[in-house]
Amino acid sequence: MSYMVAASLEQALKILHEKGGNVQVIAGGTDLYLKKPLPDLVDVSSVPEILGICRDEGMLSIGAGVTHTEAAASAVIQSEAEALAEACRRVGSPQVRNMGTIGGNLVNAAPAADAAVALVALGAKALLVNHAGSSREAFVEDLYAGYNCSYVDGSSEILLRFLVEPCGQGMGSAFMRFAPREALSLPLVNSAAFVRLRENIIEEVRVVIAPVKPAPTRLVETEKLVLGCKPGEDIWRKVEYTAASEVEVRGSLLRCSEEYRYHLVGVLARRALKKAVERALNRQRR
Amino acid sequence: MPVTKKTGVNSETGIPGPAYNQGPDVWDKVTGKAVYGIDLQLPGMLYGKVLRSPHSHARVIRIDTAGAFAVPGVRAVLTASAIKNKPYGIVVEDEQPLAGDRVRYIGDEVAAVAAVDEESAGKALEAIKVDYEPLPAVYDPAEALGEDAVQLHEQYSGNIAWERDLERGDPEQAFKEADLVVENSFSIPSVHPTYLEPIACVASSDYMDNLTIHTALQSPDVVREIISAALELPLSKVRIIGPVMGGGFGGRVYGNLKLYLLSSLLSLQTGAPVKMQLSREEEFSVGRPMIAAQIKMRMALRKDGTFLAREADIITDNGAYSAQAPWVSKTLSERNDALYRIPHIRTRARLAYTNKVPTAQYRAYGNQAANFASESLIDQAAEKLQIDPLQLRLKNCTRAGDVTGHGLQIKSCALAECLEEAATRIGWHNRKKNRGYGISAGIHASGSLVLNQDFRGASARAVLELDGKVTVFTGEQDYGQGTYGAFSHIAAMVLGLDARQVRIYCRDTLVTPHSQGALANRQTTIGGRAVQLAAEDLKKLIEEAASEMAGQPVKMQEGRLETASNRDLKLEEVARYYHYRTSGLTLNGEGRYVPPPSAYDETGYGNISVTYSFAAHAAEVEVDRNTGALTVHRIAAVHDSGRIVNPHAARGQVFGGMTQGLGFCCYEGYLFDKGRVANASLADYRVPTAMDVPGMEYSFVETEDPEGPFGAKGLGEVVQVPVPGAIANAVADAAGSRVTELPLTAERIYRAISGGECER
Repeated sequence: MSYMVAASLEQALKILHEKGGNVQVIAGGTDLYLKKPLPDLVDVSSVPEILGICRDEGMLSIGAGVTHTEAAASAVIQSEAEALAEACRRVGSPQVRNMGTIGGNLVNAAPAADAAVALVALGAKALLVNHAGSSREAFVEDLYAGYNCSYVDGSSEILLRFLVEPCGQGMGSAFMRFAPREALSLPLVNSAAFVRLRENIIEEVRVVIAPVKPAPTRLVETEKLVLGCKPGEDIWRKVEYTAASEVEVRGSLLRCSEEYRYHLVGVLARRALKKAVERALNRQRR
Repeated sequence: MPVTKKTGVNSETGIPGPAYNQGPDVWDKVTGKAVYGIDLQLPGMLYGKVLRSPHSHARVIRIDTAGAFAVPGVRAVLTASAIKNKPYGIVVEDEQPLAGDRVRYIGDEVAAVAAVDEESAGKALEAIKVDYEPLPAVYDPAEALGEDAVQLHEQYSGNIAWERDLERGDPEQAFKEADLVVENSFSIPSVHPTYLEPIACVASSDYMDNLTIHTALQSPDVVREIISAALELPLSKVRIIGPVMGGGFGGRVYGNLKLYLLSSLLSLQTGAPVKMQLSREEEFSVGRPMIAAQIKMRMALRKDGTFLAREADIITDNGAYSAQAPWVSKTLSERNDALYRIPHIRTRARLAYTNKVPTAQYRAYGNQAANFASESLIDQAAEKLQIDPLQLRLKNCTRAGDVTGHGLQIKSCALAECLEEAATRIGWHNRKKNRGYGISAGIHASGSLVLNQDFRGASARAVLELDGKVTVFTGEQDYGQGTYGAFSHIAAMVLGLDARQVRIYCRDTLVTPHSQGALANRQTTIGGRAVQLAAEDLKKLIEEAASEMAGQPVKMQEGRLETASNRDLKLEEVARYYHYRTSGLTLNGEGRYVPPPSAYDETGYGNISVTYSFAAHAAEVEVDRNTGALTVHRIAAVHDSGRIVNPHAARGQVFGGMTQGLGFCCYEGYLFDKGRVANASLADYRVPTAMDVPGMEYSFVETEDPEGPFGAKGLGEVVQVPVPGAIANAVADAAGSRVTELPLTAERIYRAISGGECER
C-alpha cells in the first residue's frame, strides 16, 4: 500500500490518471481505514478546492473536505442550513467528527449517513471532477448506486463541493436523529426536512428519512400532503401516519422491532418538518 | 454508631496521615508504558488458537487432526483424547479443558493448536475436520427446568446446577396478615464486565515441567490451585506472574481458566512459551458474562408501610458450564434481604443449565439485579399506600446494631443518612416539572468470610529496604480500583512516612503472600488490615533494632527515630545495621489479619462478612413520551464505606461504578439468536460512552467501622448496586408506568407508556 498526499487538485487528478483506477481518494479515513486490505491511497484533504465554506453566486458552497466538526461549528451553516449543522453535530462520535468529512460521509454511501440525509433535504448538488479534468454536477440523492455503494468512483473522480441554497426569508430546515446511544451508534431512524413558506402556505417541501432504502429517501406522499397547506395542529397527526405508511422498514434483534421503527419514522418525520416550519415562520416574521 | 463527618466532592483533607497516593502504576498507564497481558512476548513464543463448536448442542463423532499437523509451523494439536482432560470447576466440576464426546454451546472448545505464528495456527484450525451429530438444544432457563427438557449434564439432573430453598420466620402467616401485597416479575439479561483488555496469557514451561503462567488475575493463588489440580502438577511447580491488569470488574477473578489450561497444556507439550488471547468477539461469545435472571417477587406490608415479608422465586441462567454462577445466584437471591428489616423471608432460587455461553462473575455478584426488582417493588408499594418512597425506605431500612433476617451482623451503618442526603442532593423535596425522580438503596458485603472459612483473612509483609524505604509484599490485586495506592497509604500512615516511600510488590505467586484475591470487597477491608498489621510489626522491629544500635530506647514517631537522649537516627542506618548484624537479612514485618469466624449454619444463617457497606442513589430523569427516549440528567450517590482512605481513588470508584451501573440498567445486555450471541462486539453490545454519562455527584457519610483498617469499608462493588433501582424508579415516576425488563430501552419505555402498542 502506498499513501500519497496531493498538494493541489492538479496533482491529485494526475495521480488518479496515472494509476488508472488502482488508487482510492481519501479525506479523513474514518470509514476507509476499516476496509481491508487497504488500497493505494491519495489523500486530498489539503487540496484547496475541497476546503472551506463560502458563498458562490447566491449559493452556499461547502467543501467536500470540510469536517463534520467544522460544519457543525460554522456560523453560516448554523444560520442558513440548520439541518446540515444539526446532522454534522450527531455523526459518529467527537473523534469521528474531527476526522471525517462531509464528502466522505456521502461517498461511503451508508444508508443512514447523517450529513447526506440533511443534504438531500436541503436539495444539495454535488460538484465533481474526474481524472480527465471534466466536471459534472449531480443531486446528492442521485449519487447512490446501492447499499454502501456510490456512483462517485473514488478511484477516478474527486467530489469537490456541495452547493446548497441558503435558507432565506420564509425558509427553514431541521434534522432529527434517534439512536440508542449518544455516540458510536447507528440511528434507528433519522430524518431531515426543508420548507419554503409563502404567506404561511407551504409552497416547497422536502422530507427525507433513513435508513429505509440504500439512499436517504424522500417521503413523496408526505410532501404531497403538506404542499399547499397552512401548517397547523391538524396536519401533524396526518404527517406521522402518512410518513410511516409510505416506507417499508424492518425490525431486528439488535436494534428495535419493526412496529416501533414505523412509529419512529412517523414521529421523526413530523418533528423534523414541524421544526423546519417553525424556523421558516420565524424567518418570515423577521 | 456515630456519624463522624461528611466528605464533600472536592475533599482531599480530613484523613489522618500523609498525602494521598495515586498508586504505583498510574503514570505507566496514562503514558502507555504499562505492560498488559496482550503486550507480552517471550523468546521462542508460539501462538495458541482454539477450534470451537459451531453447534449449540451436538455429539462429537470424530475429530481428524491429520491435516492440522501437516500445516507448516504447527507445533502441537490437542484434542480431548490426547490429554488427561480431567474435570475441574469452581463450585461444581462440570468442565474439562477440551470437550470430549459432546459440545454444549456455540464456542465450546474442541481442539487447540500451537504454531509459530497466528496465521499458521489459524490455518491449522481450518485443517481440522470434526463430524458432529446435532442434538436438540434448550435456550430458555425456565424451559430447561421443565420435565421433558433436553439434559445438558448427566450428573446434574433436571438441568439444575445449583438450587436453594430458604425460609426465615413465618412468611405464610405474614402474607395472610398483610394489609397490602405487591408483586411483579422482572427480567435481567446477562452482562459482560467489558474490561478494556481482553484476556491474554503466556504459559511457559521448562524441562522439569515447572510451569509459569503470565496473566493478570484477581485471584491468582486460587487459580494456581485449580490449574495444579486439573493438570495434576504439584502445586510448587505452578507459578503465576501477573502483568498489569487491564480492568477486571469481577470478570478476572478466575479469568478464563480454559485459556490458561490450554496454553499450559500446549506449552508442556512443546516446551515453548505459548501465548493465547481472546478477541473482543470471543470475550463476548465465549468469555464469561454474569448470569441472566428472572425474578418473581412478592412483598407483604402493613398499612403504615412496615415491611412484613418478602417472597422470591428466582431462575438464573447458567449457560453450559457453571464456574462461579452458584455463588452469584446465592448473592443475587439473598443479599438484598439485608437492606431493610424484613422479618419473614422465603426464597426459591434455581440455576439452570442452558445451551448458551457459560457464565461466571461480575462486579456486585447480581446484587444489582436483585436491587432492580426489590426497589421497583418497594415503589409499587409506596404508590399503593400513598407513602413517599423515601419515607417508606427510612421507616424500614437496616440500621447499625441490627442482625438481619439471614444473620448478618451490622456493626456500622449510615443507610438512613445516605438516603436522606441522596434525596436532598437530587432535589427530592423540590422537584422540577416534567422530570422523574427515583431513589434506591444498596448493601454489599465488605470482606467476605465464607469464600473459604478456614482461610478467611489475609497476610502481608512489610520490609525495610537498605535505603530506608519500605516494600510491602501483598497477594491482593489492583486492577485499577486503587488497592495498591490504598495499601501504600495505610502502611505510610502506620509508619509516619510519605506514601511515596512505600512500594508495593505484587502479582507473583512464588514470592507474594497467598490470598483469596480481589473479590467480595476484601481488598481494603481485609488485605488492608493485614498491611496495617505488617507495618505495625515492622515499626516494632525497627524500634528494637534502633534501640539495640543506639544502646538506649528509641521511639519511631511521625517517621522519625528519636533516642531517649534526643538524637535522631536515620531509617537507612538502622536498616543497614540490622542487615550487617544478621549477615544479609532485612527487617521484615509480618501482618496477618484473621477475622472472627463466621457462625454459618446449614441453612446459611450467619454473619458472612467482616462488615457491610451501604449506599443510596437518587436519579433525575426525563422521558420523551412520544418515543420513550430516556435522558438521565443526574445521579446523586451517597455512600457509607466507613472511613475513606483515599478520596481520589474513592471518587474514581464512584464515578466508574455509577457509569457501569448506568450501562447495566439502560444500555447493556446479551442478545441471543437461539444459542448464538447476537451482539458480540463493542458496536452492538452497547456500553455507555462518555457522551452518555449523566451529571454525577456523590458524598460519603463516614462511619467508624470497628473492623476495617482505620474504620474503612469496601466501595468498589456496592457502588453499582443502587443504580438500576434508582433509575428504574425515576423512569416509572416520569413515564407513569413501569418497565420490568432490563435494559430500559426507549422501545420498552414507550411500550410501557402506550400500553404495549406502537401507534402509527
